[in-house]
Amino acid sequence: MSSEGTSPDSSVGIDRSRRQFIAAAGAAGALGLAGCQGGSTGGEEAVTVASLNPMTGPFSSLGPGQRTGAELAVAEINDTDDYDFEFELVTGDTETEAGAAQSEAQRVVQEEGAEFVFGAISSSVALGLNDFAGQSEHIYFPGGAAVPITGSACNEWVFRFETNTAQIAEAISAYSVNNLGNNVWFHYADYAYGDSVYNRTSRRMENASDDYTEVGTSTSELGASNYGSFITQISNSDADVVVLGMTGGDLVNFTNQAADQGLTDQMAVVGPTQTFQSVRAGTGSNSVGTFGGARYDPSLETGDNQAFVEAYASENDREPGNFARVGYDSMRLMAKGMNEAGSTEPGDVRDALEGGTFTTVLGDITLRESDHQATNPTWMAELVAGDGDTADVELLEQVPGSETLPPASDLGCEM
Amino acid sequence: MVAADFIEQLLNGLTLGMVYVLLAAGLSVIFGVMDVINFSHGELFALGAYFSLSIIAPFGAGTGFWIAIVVAPVAVGLIGAAIERTTVRPLYGRDPLYHILLTFGLVLVINDGIRLIWGTQQRQLAVPEYLSRPVSILGVQVSVYNYFMIVFAALLAVVTWYLLNRTKYGMIIRAGSQDREMVRNVGIDIDQYYTLVFGVGAALAAVAGIVLGGYQNVNTGMGNSVIIPAFVVVVLGGLGSFRGAVFGGLLVGVVQTLMRAYNGSVVATVGDVTLSVPNLEGLTVYLLMIAVLLVKPQGLFGTRGEESESEGEILVGGYGGVLADSTRVRLGGIAVVALALAPLAILFMGDQYYLVVLNEILIWAIFALSLDIVMGYAGLVPLGHTMFYGVGAYTAALVMLHYSQSVFVVLLGAILICAVLAWIVGSLSIRVSGVYFAMITLAFAELLYSAVFKFDFTGGSDGLLGFEAFLGFGTIGASLSNIEFGLLGYELGQQFVFYYLALLIAVLSLLFARRMMNAPFGSVLQSIRESEERAEFIGYDVNRYKRRAFVISGGMAGLAGGLLAVSPSTVIISPDQTLNWIHSGEVIVIALFGGMGTLYGPMIGSGVFFGAEEFLSSYTDQWRLIIGTMFILFVLFVPRGIVSIPSLVAQRLETANNADGPVDMDEPEVRSDD
Repeated sequence: MSSEGTSPDSSVGIDRSRRQFIAAAGAAGALGLAGCQGGSTGGEEAVTVASLNPMTGPFSSLGPGQRTGAELAVAEINDTDDYDFEFELVTGDTETEAGAAQSEAQRVVQEEGAEFVFGAISSSVALGLNDFAGQSEHIYFPGGAAVPITGSACNEWVFRFETNTAQIAEAISAYSVNNLGNNVWFHYADYAYGDSVYNRTSRRMENASDDYTEVGTSTSELGASNYGSFITQISNSDADVVVLGMTGGDLVNFTNQAADQGLTDQMAVVGPTQTFQSVRAGTGSNSVGTFGGARYDPSLETGDNQAFVEAYASENDREPGNFARVGYDSMRLMAKGMNEAGSTEPGDVRDALEGGTFTTVLGDITLRESDHQATNPTWMAELVAGDGDTADVELLEQVPGSETLPPASDLGCEM
Repeated sequence: MVAADFIEQLLNGLTLGMVYVLLAAGLSVIFGVMDVINFSHGELFALGAYFSLSIIAPFGAGTGFWIAIVVAPVAVGLIGAAIERTTVRPLYGRDPLYHILLTFGLVLVINDGIRLIWGTQQRQLAVPEYLSRPVSILGVQVSVYNYFMIVFAALLAVVTWYLLNRTKYGMIIRAGSQDREMVRNVGIDIDQYYTLVFGVGAALAAVAGIVLGGYQNVNTGMGNSVIIPAFVVVVLGGLGSFRGAVFGGLLVGVVQTLMRAYNGSVVATVGDVTLSVPNLEGLTVYLLMIAVLLVKPQGLFGTRGEESESEGEILVGGYGGVLADSTRVRLGGIAVVALALAPLAILFMGDQYYLVVLNEILIWAIFALSLDIVMGYAGLVPLGHTMFYGVGAYTAALVMLHYSQSVFVVLLGAILICAVLAWIVGSLSIRVSGVYFAMITLAFAELLYSAVFKFDFTGGSDGLLGFEAFLGFGTIGASLSNIEFGLLGYELGQQFVFYYLALLIAVLSLLFARRMMNAPFGSVLQSIRESEERAEFIGYDVNRYKRRAFVISGGMAGLAGGLLAVSPSTVIISPDQTLNWIHSGEVIVIALFGGMGTLYGPMIGSGVFFGAEEFLSSYTDQWRLIIGTMFILFVLFVPRGIVSIPSLVAQRLETANNADGPVDMDEPEVRSDD
């Protein structure tokens, strides 16, 4: 299929009323940002960008953050003179499900004319959108963390600013096995993400310490709600550390039940996504004393993070979480790529992004030439009692961006 | 240590089991007494948890929790009673099928309402400090909250038992669940008790929501995640049996937990052979349910006969049509011509996305048509029909990946595999009827849904990627994604070609189904739907006819699934997209919405449903709320579906003209048990 043949201009004229409506809705979402909604005058080129997020379904607690971050970036881009184009944001709901996501993707690309797409969190949805980007040849920034997205399923149109599971595994593995204990139990949800946490973390731990012992593993189904039986099993083992290969509601339920059953007092509970805002909100004081990998924290002084945190907080009355920063910088990276390329053609922007180094809220990162994965730093963190109902994140150790990623060939990417 | 470990696991199982008991008690009694398959029970459960969030916030966990556990269920109970009064009541006497459409609509409305009021963020339901700490008794360590859940739920269960067994109200309700007609015959107006039953059932669900919310978390998907296990409990225990709900709830809770705890663990080693517990978590309860239904169709403690009396009337869309047959055929022809020309209009508008939507509508039209063959003609309601859609899609994707890319081979493969699957499932399930048939097919669908997560060849949770269809045989033809040609300066691509392929297949499917249904085979099916006993007395092998219809229907649903995989819009086939039970519900809703028993009605239903979704979702995030409301209004006022609108209008006009008094649409629905 050739999308080159359809010039962006020809599709701009289509169904004007609906597009205007959606653009207005997008602007209204970012309303209050220095009155940016009136800013589309001045004859600047308008580039349609899309944000597809899980607003409903299992990840509906994470999607809104992603979208808010993207909206903030669009508002800022339209508000400064740094760019001689404007972003027109169209949005869609992936429903945390690949079928709905692919039809939303087709809507924003074919109907709205977006050639720059950001979004998705779950592995299946992101892989579907990966494939679609490869077919229709538009730029796609996935929001999912599963390794294959820029690993075995990588393609030249996909760039990822989200930190992947391998990078997080790097942060938690060495620290846990060297500081928290050698005897490790793995409990993971039986699906792509859980498997990948188990594989990467256990391998990294093995390399990090000779005394490392895998005491046992257990798996639960994705979306399981009762973990009492596993917690009992883990608690009766010799483990010093339990690593949780799960996220979202699964992780929240596990953490709550682990605290209630006394597991958290008994051993170090370590979850790669334990520091997520949504997890902390769902667990309250139950996550105090647990450990987690951190992909992001609002307290960071890296890059232009503090400016982002301030702008985000003044818009939304709360600090940004990981998904908001992914949405924010994925959009900004698209814009920066366009500036670098001096063009808004997806092919040119792709060439500019590939191997490029850009300033983000995590400092200067490179979108690796070999797999288009951002070289983000990661952190090991502990959750400590906070002022309010939720636990605070205390960063313990940083792994620099240059050391978090194994070579692309190890992750299965061939481009 | 081993014993203590086992006791801990048992306690974990009981904790979960007690929640199921609370959920299932209400569901089962509502089911038994009122014949209502209440899908919205799960959302009432969630509503309980959300109300208590709002109550706890100002008071704090210490006192707020106790206030919430009293006030929130009462509030939800009142909402339940209001729902019964306004929406369920007008439907008594109709087939339970209509409750599926109604309560499905309620699910959409309540769930969207929750999203709107409380947001999508998952929340922690704070419980008092002294309840959320571990306690160790004789080496057995679980949370105090576990004991609290067990004791509190048990107390409620005892109270409910007392009310049901030791009071006059309870006696009447129990009698109603065994034989409604008899209760009416002795002069008791059982309908008056329905509001009470529905309200109390909703309140019990709310309690379960609060108790479980405190154990896990509160989120918008919590209702959806418990409703299917709750149905399993109800069916296992026996419809309308409180004892069954208690036993079934505890059984499912304990079995689920133990299978989880001991999966993969070694039981014994005999020589070189190691016997271990297979990894069947998630599958176990469905296997259990299928086994029980096959051996004892009325459930473990069921008191009711196996749906011997056919409750209520199925309203087929085609009756009382004002349009003559020839007009209808002509309209059909016009519709096909319009559909054939639609892409040209879309081409002039230059927006190919509408083709993607039309393609989806066509695929679902075939899927809904396949359902109508069993539902509208044979009177069987499968709650697991998406298993064929899903297996068809997976088969097609696998054939393309490993065997042949030819569209014809792929679709044939999907049809055959699904027909075989339908024959197997049909052979096992058709011996039971009514609600039991619905539930057993649901169990099979859930089995397959769990299974695709476990296998490597199905791609696990990620699904299958990287397949491509080829329009032709062998080397003659073109890959669907490469097809491109010009017409009058317009670029025509894959969507265009696929559209005509799908349209052709949809029209052929409809003609095939029509031919079947107009043949003696169809007449026999309809006579079975009208009265199974009479059809049997005349000498027809009822089960064989039903099974054949089921095989045809399964094959056709497989074709729809195969088309989904072949469609150029489809890049991935994943479990939730194809096998989630919600699609089984959706297709029933679409068929009813369009007008079942007409073949073309469900196809129109698909168009209107997806068209409305597409239209509404571009204007509001609350489109589910609007569609849900639409379902509720339809089931109340246009029960025969969209296709009956012309005759409804004609009737109203007639009424307005002759002042002979109202001709009520609902008039023919005299309760069969009155």
